[in-house]
Parts: sequence; structure tokens; C-alpha cells
Amino acid sequence: QEEAQAIDQELFTEYKFSVDQLMELAGLSCATAITKAYPPSSFTTSQPAVLVVCGPGNNGGDGLVCARHLKMFGYQPTVYYPKRPNKPLFEGLTTQCQKMDIPFLPEFPAEASLIDELYGLVVDAIFGFSFKGAVREPFGSILGTLQRVTVPIASIDIPSGWDVEKGKADGLQPDMLISLTAPKKAALHFTGRYHFLGGRFVPAALEKKYALNLPPYPETDCVLQL
Amino acid sequence: PMSSPQAFPLPSLPRKQPTVLVVCGPAQNGAIGLVCARHLRIFDYEPTIFYPKRSPDPLYRDFTTQCEKMDIPFLSYLPTEVQLINDAYNAVVDAVLGAEAEAGEGREPCAAILATLKHIRIPIVSLDVPSGWDVEAGSSSGISPDVLVSLSAPKQCARRFLGRQHFVAGRFLPYDVQKKFELNPPEYPGTECVVAL
Repeated sequence: QEEAQAIDQELFTEYKFSVDQLMELAGLSCATAITKAYPPSSFTTSQPAVLVVCGPGNNGGDGLVCARHLKMFGYQPTVYYPKRPNKPLFEGLTTQCQKMDIPFLPEFPAEASLIDELYGLVVDAIFGFSFKGAVREPFGSILGTLQRVTVPIASIDIPSGWDVEKGKADGLQPDMLISLTAPKKAALHFTGRYHFLGGRFVPAALEKKYALNLPPYPETDCVLQL
Repeated sequence: PMSSPQAFPLPSLPRKQPTVLVVCGPAQNGAIGLVCARHLRIFDYEPTIFYPKRSPDPLYRDFTTQCEKMDIPFLSYLPTEVQLINDAYNAVVDAVLGAEAEAGEGREPCAAILATLKHIRIPIVSLDVPSGWDVEAGSSSGISPDVLVSLSAPKQCARRFLGRQHFVAGRFLPYDVQKKFELNPPEYPGTECVVAL
């Protein structure tokens, strides 16, 4: 976890990347990976409906960017974003989604079965690699419901609620994981069908410094299936 | 910015090293060139940047830092000896002037740069508008790019484009903007961010 945070810090302070830049590239990777694993034509619901659950931090921001690109790629995303930071970045991302007619649910579906009926996929953008400690409401109940959902779940960077290094045996078991920048230790415990790498912005020097040993991305693709 | 490398897939380049010269002007078009150079580096090209007049905009200054930290060299001058450019690079990305330029062609250092670019023999990829062209009427005596990447939507002068490939990179335009300006964009394949016209 510390290494992931150190890499992020270097990208921002040494390389002068803005959070906006990296979040946009990360969110785009997520949408691209999802499109490869679950193309719109593969959905059994009448529309390729996707529920994107966004948490209170940067992982939620990644989710908002992802939702916007999913709309561009032909999906019908719906967002649930209960705790919104008071920062221009997140307000901007929210506006962009709203202006693209992406609905924001006023409340979380009460039953897992309702989610299964309405959506063909859930994107878990609740907690990322900075997550530590106890899960605060409303996310505890949300994760509880998501664990009972039968449609596939795609988690951004870390399955929410997992310890970033050790995983969580009784936690969320997503079908897809999109590791951003590099897989975190928790990814070793991932047992779903699809593991993608995204966030193709790591300079070669950083990759070497932290011995990330990332496999090469194909051509100009922004994702790589691991 | 992410679309330029698609015009020249790596294996097809004539020189042994995948070198590309990215010429960046003083305003937004130049900044887009900086972002393009960074992605070219990630895609394993060897970009070199010529950025004689740097914008004071903090965002663009950060783009410069990102390129520098990724070991992308910045030339201190552009050779006027055209053969040197032809020999050293496989292609030139023209990010000098965009649609917002007003008689930018006449001002230094753009005028000298464009004069040189008119005589090079390696392919030029122009970002949005071939630099020096009038954004509506085009130019009969200006540079002749091999590839044009129209940003958001083609500009009027694109009608006069005679090169090999014309790409549009405008997938991220919201639908209401597209409709409002009657852009009628083509279908983008899959998750691609560019489409060849």
C-alpha cells in the first residue's frame, strides 16, 4: 500500500501530473477494459445497463470518469454517488455525467435482486488503494447488498472493503478487477475471471525505480489483460 | 493526442530507431503536442520536442515537466538544414498552430519553423489544422501534411487536405454539443478514440 502511495506521490510532485489527468486516463482504462470483457452485445438485459457505485474519494472519481466513457461506448450507465467531496474536480466530473444524461440514483436499490433485474453489470468504484480501517455507512450496507448480487461486479483497483495487501476472504468477490498503474498485493487473492491492468501512464523510470515489472501493453491499447 | 501514433505503426517506420520530432507552438496546439509526445514515449517511440516559445500557463508548464521527467529531449534550436531533419527522424508532428491562430504564420518563431517544414521530405502529421493554413480557406503555399488529425471535428480547411490519412479525434464530445453544432460525427469503432475518415 505504501509503495502505491509513494508512486502516486512521485507522479504528482516530481512529474507534475494533475489528479485530473491521471484520473481521466484511469477511468478511460476501466471503461475500455469493461468493454472488452463485457461487450454491450453480451448483456441479457434489454439495454446494456450498468450500475456504477462511487465512493467518497478518488476511486469514486475514477468511477465517474468510467461512467462517462461507458456512455460513449454504448452502455446505459446509472450512478449512485452518496458522499460527494466538495472539490471542483468531483463537482466537474459529476456535471459532465449529468450533462450526458447519466442518471444519479437518489437511493441505493434496497434488494440485491432488484439490482440483478435492472443491471447487467455493477462497477465497484467505492474504495481504492488508500482504504484503511473500518467501512463507514452507507458503504457497509451497500457492500452487504453487493455481496448478494449475482450479476458480475467489476472492481476498480481494489475490491472495495478488502485490505489492500491481504484481501478479504469473506468480502466482495468481483468477477473483474482493473488494477490501476500496477496490481496491488491484494490482487493475489483475486479469484474472478478477468484481471486487467490499466492506467498506462507510468514513466519507464518510475517503473524501474519501483521494480514494477509490468508486462508490455499491446500497441496503443490503454489496457492489458493479465 | 493519443491518436497520432496510429497513423504510423511502429513496425512500419523506415529508420532503425522510432524517432519522431514534435514541433510545439506557443499556445494550445503546442500543449496538445506535448501531451502527444508523452504518449508517444509510452508507446515506445523516441520523440524529441522543439518548443521554442513556452507558454506561461501552469497547466502547459506541467506538461513540459512531465515530458522532461520522461527523458524526452528538448532541442535548443531547429536545424535549418532540412536534410538533418530528414535523416534523424521518421516523421514530424506539427503542433505549431491550431484553429485559434490569427496570422500566426507571420510571427516568429513560427514563420521560420514553417519555412523549414515546407521543405522536409519525411511525413508530417498535423494536429487539428496544418500550421499556417487559414482555418477556413486552407493554403496553397503552406505545408503539406501526410496525415491530419482533426480535433473534435474537422475544420473547414480540412476540405483542402490532400494527404494520405485524415483522422478525427472527437469521441469525447458530449451529445448535446454534437447536436448543437450539427457535427454529425462518424461512428467510432469499438473503444477507439479516433476514426479514419
